[in-house]
This record gives sequence, C-alpha cells and structure tokens, in this order.
Amino acid sequence: MPHSLSSQDVTTPGGLLLVLAILIPFVGMLIGFVFGGGKAQRVALATLAAGLAIVIAIAHALVQSGDAVIYILGGWKPPLGVALRADGLSVVMLVAIAVVICGIGVYARADFGTPSGVKEARAPLTFWLLLLAVWGSLNLVFVSGDLFTLYVALELLTFAAVPLVSLDGRSETVRSALRYLLYALLGSVLYLLGAVLLYGVYGTLDIPLLAIRVRPEPAAWAALALMISGLLAKTALFPLHLWLPPAHAGAPAAASAVLSGLVIKGSWFLAVRIWFDVFAGVVTLPSAQMLGGLGAAAILVGNVVALRQTRLKLLIAYSTVAQIGYLFLMFPLATGLSSAGLDSVVSVNGGMLQAISHAMAKAAMFMAAGLVYATLGHDRVADLRGLASALPMTVLAFALAGASLIGLPPSGGFLAKWLLISAAITTLQWWWALVMLAGGLLTSVYVFIVVVRTLAPAHEGWKPKSPVPRYQQAVVLALALCSFLLGAAVLCPVDVMQIGRTVSRNTLLP
Amino acid sequence: MTTSGLLIATAIGTPFAMLLACLSPAFRKLMPTLLGLAPIPALAAALLADDTLLMFGNAQFKLAFAMDKPGAMLLTVAAILWIASGSYATTWLRNTGHAGSFVVCWLMTLTGCVGVFLAADLVGFYFLLAVLSVGASGLVLQGGTSKALRASAVYLGVALFAEAFLLAGLVMLAWVMPHESLLIRDAAAAISTSPWRDLTLVLLIIGLGMKAGLVPLHFWMPLAYDAAPMPASAVMSGAVVKASALALIRFLPFDAALPDFGLPLAAIGFFDAFYGVVIGLTQSEPKLILAYSSVSQMGFLVAVIGMGLAIGDSGSALAASFYAAHHLLAKGALFLAVGVVATTGRHKLWLVLLPAAVLALGIGGLPLTGGAMAKLAVKPILGDGFVGLLANLSAIGTTMLMLHFISRLVASTASIPSTSAPVGLALPWLLMFIAAIALPWTLYPMTGIGIWSYALQPEILWAASWPTLIGTMPMFVLWRWGKALPQMPEGDLIVIGERALRKVITWGDGLERAEGWLRQWPVATMMLLALALFMGRTLIDWR
Repeated sequence: MPHSLSSQDVTTPGGLLLVLAILIPFVGMLIGFVFGGGKAQRVALATLAAGLAIVIAIAHALVQSGDAVIYILGGWKPPLGVALRADGLSVVMLVAIAVVICGIGVYARADFGTPSGVKEARAPLTFWLLLLAVWGSLNLVFVSGDLFTLYVALELLTFAAVPLVSLDGRSETVRSALRYLLYALLGSVLYLLGAVLLYGVYGTLDIPLLAIRVRPEPAAWAALALMISGLLAKTALFPLHLWLPPAHAGAPAAASAVLSGLVIKGSWFLAVRIWFDVFAGVVTLPSAQMLGGLGAAAILVGNVVALRQTRLKLLIAYSTVAQIGYLFLMFPLATGLSSAGLDSVVSVNGGMLQAISHAMAKAAMFMAAGLVYATLGHDRVADLRGLASALPMTVLAFALAGASLIGLPPSGGFLAKWLLISAAITTLQWWWALVMLAGGLLTSVYVFIVVVRTLAPAHEGWKPKSPVPRYQQAVVLALALCSFLLGAAVLCPVDVMQIGRTVSRNTLLP
Repeated sequence: MTTSGLLIATAIGTPFAMLLACLSPAFRKLMPTLLGLAPIPALAAALLADDTLLMFGNAQFKLAFAMDKPGAMLLTVAAILWIASGSYATTWLRNTGHAGSFVVCWLMTLTGCVGVFLAADLVGFYFLLAVLSVGASGLVLQGGTSKALRASAVYLGVALFAEAFLLAGLVMLAWVMPHESLLIRDAAAAISTSPWRDLTLVLLIIGLGMKAGLVPLHFWMPLAYDAAPMPASAVMSGAVVKASALALIRFLPFDAALPDFGLPLAAIGFFDAFYGVVIGLTQSEPKLILAYSSVSQMGFLVAVIGMGLAIGDSGSALAASFYAAHHLLAKGALFLAVGVVATTGRHKLWLVLLPAAVLALGIGGLPLTGGAMAKLAVKPILGDGFVGLLANLSAIGTTMLMLHFISRLVASTASIPSTSAPVGLALPWLLMFIAAIALPWTLYPMTGIGIWSYALQPEILWAASWPTLIGTMPMFVLWRWGKALPQMPEGDLIVIGERALRKVITWGDGLERAEGWLRQWPVATMMLLALALFMGRTLIDWR
C-alpha cells in the first residue's frame, strides 16, 4: 500500500480539536436557529471566527507532531468504534475551506443582512444556518475515517447545499434545486450500494482496515465502480453535469460561491480518499484513464461552452464544469506513476492544489459577479462597460482569479499545472498535458473578453444601480489574491499535504 | 547579500515597488513623471553586477537571479531605451486622460522585462515572461482604439499560446536537469544529453520563436506596434521582443553542433528576413514599416542563432546578443523618431530626419554605423558561402525597406511648417540617437567581439558599403512607379487566421447543442448507469 492513512488507533494530542471542528458549526447552527432573526447572522459570524481558529490549531498540531491527528470516539477502537483522522490532505482542505467560507461570510453580511424593521426574513436566516451546515458537513467529510460516516457527511452536505440554490424562492430556481437534489440522490444511492457491498464482504467500513482487506475481486470492483460513479454524479463531472449550470448560476452570489467553490470539493475529496486510500491495490490504469478521459472532455467542452455564454454567472458556472475536469486528471497521472513504481505524490499534490486554488478563485469570481449584478442590474457579458471605473478592485479580483484558472504564475493553478504536467511527462501520458495547456488557452479567451469589456468607458451620465460596500470588494480581492499567490506554497519548507501519509520525499517540485 | 545581489534585487525591485505603489491613487498620479527613473537601477546592475547567483527560497525550491554576459549587454541597452522612452512617455502622457492604466501596464512590462533578462532559473523565467506578456498586451490596449483592442487580444493570445509550448518544454527540461537544479545556466548542457532532446528543443524553439515573431505567427507584431502608443511601441519593438531572443541564446546548446535543428531554424529566420521586407514595402504607415522591419530583423537574428547552433559555435551567443543589442537601440530610437517627426513642421525637419536616416540605413548595414558593426560581428557565424550571400541580400532588402520608411516618414510631418517637437519628446529621442551611434562602438571592443582597427579596415568598409549602394537603386524605381504595388492588409496572415477562428466558433455551436442534449434527464441518467458499468469493466484485472 504505497499511500495509506497512518493506521494508529489512539487519540493523538489535539485529537479533540477534530471533534470541535465538526461540532462547532452545527452547534452554531442550532443556536442561530433558536435565536432566529437578525441574531442568526451574528451567531454565524462568531462561529466562523471560532471555527477558523480551531482549524488553524489542527494545522498547528499536525505540523508539530509531523503525523496525522486522530481522535477515537468514546475510546472504542475500529472496527467497533469510529475514528476521526486528519492527515495532511484533510488539514490542507480544512484550512482552505475555512478561509473561503470566512471570506464568503464577510461578503454575505451585505447581501443577507436582516432588513431593519423586520423581525426575521426567510432568505437571510436560511442562508446563515445553511452556510454553517455546509461547513460542518464538509469538515466531517475531511476528517471521517470510515465510509459510513462519510456517507452521512455527504448526505448532510447535499441537504444543506440544495436549499442554497433556491434561496430566492423563484419557481425556476426551485426547479434547478430539485434537479440538483434528485441527481445527487441518485449518486448517493450508488455510493451507499457500494458501501453496503464492502461491508458485506469485508466486515468493516474503517478506511485503514479496509485498505488492508480489499482484494482485486468482483465485489471490490463492483463496490468501487458504484461508489465512484455516485460521487461523480455529485461532483458533476462531465457528462453528469446536468444540474450544475442552472443551480450554480441561479443562486445568489454568495450561495453560488459556496456551491461552486466548496460543495463539489466534498464529493471529489471523497473520491480521492476512496481511490488512493481504500482501493489503491484494486484500481487499474484503464479505469484511471477513463476518469482522466472524462476530465479532459469536461475541460474542453466546459471551456468552449463557457466561451459562448452571454451571461456572466452562466459563464462562470461552465468554467466550473471545465475546472472539475482538471481535478480528475490526477487519477490517471497518480495511478500511472504508482504502476511505474514511482511516487505519486507529485500528482496528488497537483490535484489538491488545483482544488484549493479553484475553490478560492471560483468563490471570488462568483462574488465578483454578484457585485457586477448589483452595480449594473444585469450580468450580460456583452455590456459590462463602465465597470472598471466603478468597481476597479472587483475587476482586478476577477482578472487575478482568472489568471489562477488559466494557470499563470505565480498562481496556485500554475503550480498545480506544473506538477501535473511533470507527472504527465514522467509517465509518458503527454495527452493530458496537451489537454491542460489547451484548457488554459480557452480559459484565457473568456477571462480576457470579460476584463476587456469592463474596461470600456461608461455611457455619459451612467450611475451605478446601487452602491457596493468597499469591504465586499476587498474580501473578493483578498480571496482572489490568495488563489493568485498560492503558487508560493512551493516555498513552504515542509510538504504539509503528505504529513501522516506514508511517503517518501518528493523531488519534482519546481 | 553581496553587492551584486543587491544591485540585481534593486533592479527588479524598483519597478515592482513602483507598480505596487500605483495601488494608491496619489502615487498613481505622480507616477508618470517618474517613469524615466524606474530603469536606472537596472542600468546600474547591468554595468556593475557579476554572475553570482541571488537566491530566494529554501532547499526544495529557489528563485535565482544572476547576470551573464549576453544579459548584461542587452540589459545595458534595454535600460537606456526604457529610460529614454519613459521620459518620452512622461511628456506624451500629459495630453491623455488615462495615464493611470498606462503607468500600471508600463511598470508591469518593465518589471517583467528586467526580470526576464536577469532570471536565472526556469520557473522565475517563465513567471516573469508571463508578467511581461500580460503587461505588454495591456500597453497595446492603451492605444484606446478598436484596432488596439484587436491587436491586444491577438498579442495576448499568441503570447499565451507560445507560453503553453514553452511550459511543456520547460517541464521536460526540468525533468532532466542534473541534481534537481533549475538553473538556466545548466539548461543547455542538460538539453544536449536529454533523452527527450529533440522534443524539448522543438517545444522551446516554437514557444520562443512565436514570441520573437517568426512567420507564420508574426502577425501580432505589426498589429501591436501600430496600435500601441508611441513610447510603448518603442520599448516593445526594442526591448520586450529581445527577451525571447535572449532566452533562445541562453537555452540552446551552442557547444554541440546540431545542424538538424540549427539549419531549419536558420532557414525559417532567413525566410522571415525577406518576408518582412517584401510585406513592409507594401505598407505606407511609418510605424507599420518599422514593425515589418522588426519581423525581418528578428528573423535575421534567429537565422544567426540557428547557424550558430548548426555549427556549434559557442561564440555565437555573444555575437547574436550584440546584433540584438544594436537592433534594440536603433529600432527603439526610430519609433521615437516617428513620434517626434509627427510633431515637427517642415522647417526643422532635417534636424530629426538626418539622424533618423543614419540610424535607419544603419540597420541595413551602412558603413561606420552600429549596424555595420553588428553585421561584422555575426559574419564569422554566417560565413562567406551561400549563407553569407543570403545575409548580404537581406542587407540589401533592409536598405530598401529603410529608404521606403524614410520617404514615408517625410510624408508624415506636422501640417504647420514652423512647429517644432516639444523638448520632452525631442530630448529622449536625442539620447537614443547618441546611444544608438556610440554604444555599439563601445560594446564591440568591450565585450571582446572584435577591435576597432579591424572594423575600420578599407576592405571591411567596402564589404559593408556595396549592399547599401545596391539597395538604393531599386528604390528609385519603386518611388517612381511604386503606386501600383498592392497594399497588404495590416498583419497579413491574421486575416486568414481570423477566418479560421470564425469556423471554430461555428463548431462551438454544434458542441453547445451536443452539451444541451447531454443535460437532458433521460440521457444523463443513462450516462450515469453506463458509466458505473463501464467503470466496473475497466477495473477487471484480466491477469
């Protein structure tokens, strides 16, 4: 097993923090629900701050000990009990998601404040409670150590995310929400089927134990195929993306940022977990190539269709369809590396960086689109004139986030691309490198079109429809900058992502 | 940090700090007056820094900067061009409303340009090249016309397309570098022993060649130089485009003779050298003629590099840099001259026209000018045979093109005969003129390429004279009957390219319809099931 979670089963120092990371968002949600009204927002913001502190503490514990952070619930060891584990991959995702969600929280203060004179408004209350629920379930996805808890986390995530689509209650957004719900449930059914199959054959759902017990045999093949396809449906990998564009483009900006930046990463992370930590001995190169092929199709089709969109939010949504494709290129690359007897760290790191940098960039882009809508009253790409002088920070943020999606240095997207292309060349799978480079070019076309359109001078006497608070612009820019400067992660002296995973030092970092 | 390191750090740091300072509107207002000062640390570094590495980072990864001989030579002249054009821009910006975005793009381009000249590792080089391209496409956009928008889009598109090739090449190169070094100085040796030598070289040459304006991807050059504001055209045609030539010089393994790569490269280069002249002769805008002359001259430079690679002459790096340095000075000065002439009336015209004519004919190799020295420096690489003949023919062509340029320049004078150019425009132009005349003479012995007494021998002078003389003759014919020549559309091949692009867009139509079909419920659900089955099928291990 080249990369398995460390299989210690004792609670490590800082293990309790994992419980807090999951509990605090949910407790915050309940408190917000009890107090209701305008107080929910304050509770949510306080919870965000507390949660961020906890996540940072977890990262500290991980780096200090140099090994995975583990908590054994109730002292019952697996397979009887349930363990929470955070290795480098989990912690990196925890931190990235916390940063993005805090950014979204600050941004949403303006859009989802309870109007004065009203005791309680439906949309703001729902938004704040669901934001916490999404966060709690994502944290649970990242630290769960067994496949059933992961199933629960995934369901929580779906049920928290679906209502975010239809916050405004218009019939068309309700329709997109239902579309999302139904398709996601189909995915859940497949996942659950796979999990049940595994339990029936191997008698455990604990990840390290399963990793030792699974053999390449029909039951494992069926289980893996079912689970992965279910997760693909939830991640909206092309051609299973029918629900994504209407859902992500129809939701309010802050909600779109949550959905497009964060929620899809939950099911993707689970697919990574299963592929690399449970079924490392079962996966084959052809199956990985298939995932890569779907990813490549997503990149090409998603980007071309994005280019042809006339509305900014739909353009960004289709760009997400394309970017999801990049996340799946790491599968053939990592599997190619391990089947050649090489270390797959490069491609795993590349894929993770892509996920994080996309989370930040896409959240920034959707929120920027929200500000554009507020200023212009529409988001038609053809008529963005005057924006650069009205919202200079937002246009800069959009450009920086775009640069990260294109993969220009020093962005996280660039570092990810460098690592993945290195892996592609090492394993002689040059076609993936070709797709990545072509995808970057297509992305640059629509980013350029949008930025140039905003530079056109406004009509005489044009005034912004409603003023945009400065802090909203600042937070969008900050998230975009995080993504744009993420390439500096290469200067980090330790490879945080691989802590707590049995690895050898990687050597391909640029 | 050593003195040399400090010099290099301030050279890149100064324009970068000024760029960051532009975030504050107060500084942004002040910035146009400081543009001429930003490149001064770069000049100091070029003159004083040595080749010790300046490193940032940790054991796993370092960004490195250093000064090598070709870099020092090109940075010296580039810094002077940046200083002159920056001062020119200060005056030029007084009459425009959008100085803010201009200075931001200017400083970004400057940071990238100085950075690329100094970058000593692959990643830093790629990063700064991207900064340079994005900044330069922003500068083109500052033209403010719809033509500028098109040119900027084309420029950025070609630059990113080229960088995709470059990235692939650099990653392949990084993979074979010894001891996980990413230093450019180890690159040439690593390439020649790499198992992927051929592919790496092809990728690097395509990427850098596109950025150097090789046919058929040269069309961005006339579009961009024509549409950009005058000082921006000067730095772009002079300094910015040399970044890719310098990279070619640094990456290619000149120690090993590689005729399989060198000769095709030289052939493409010579083709460009003539192509630029022919198309340039059909143009009537002075800026466009200069742009096509840049296509031609960059082609010639690439031909020199190609020949150096073919014969494995390690001295060709320095000679090619010298040629590039002269072209940088002369072309930069000529672009500034176009701007000065446009604001000068008939009465004082000769004051600008005469020096401009000397520089222009110098590019064609007029004896005693820097151009003649540059041609002399690359002569040993090109030899006396067929290639030497091609070089002479290209000199004749360039002389024709430059005479055409001068005649069009005369026609573009200001309408009121007594106007004279503002001092703020004329002085930088004068500085560039002096630099373009004096610096080649200084650099020629200083860099050890040759000595004055050799360059002043009568037979050498005669060899330089006859292409100029021959080139003058057909021009009389052309001036007399040249009206009948067809006018090529600006950017020639782009017209075909844009047609192809429209075709691709109609394909997109079909793709969009297909994507819509896939998003129907029955289809998507069947897809999910099919995927699960297929996934299972691919997992079965038949062994």
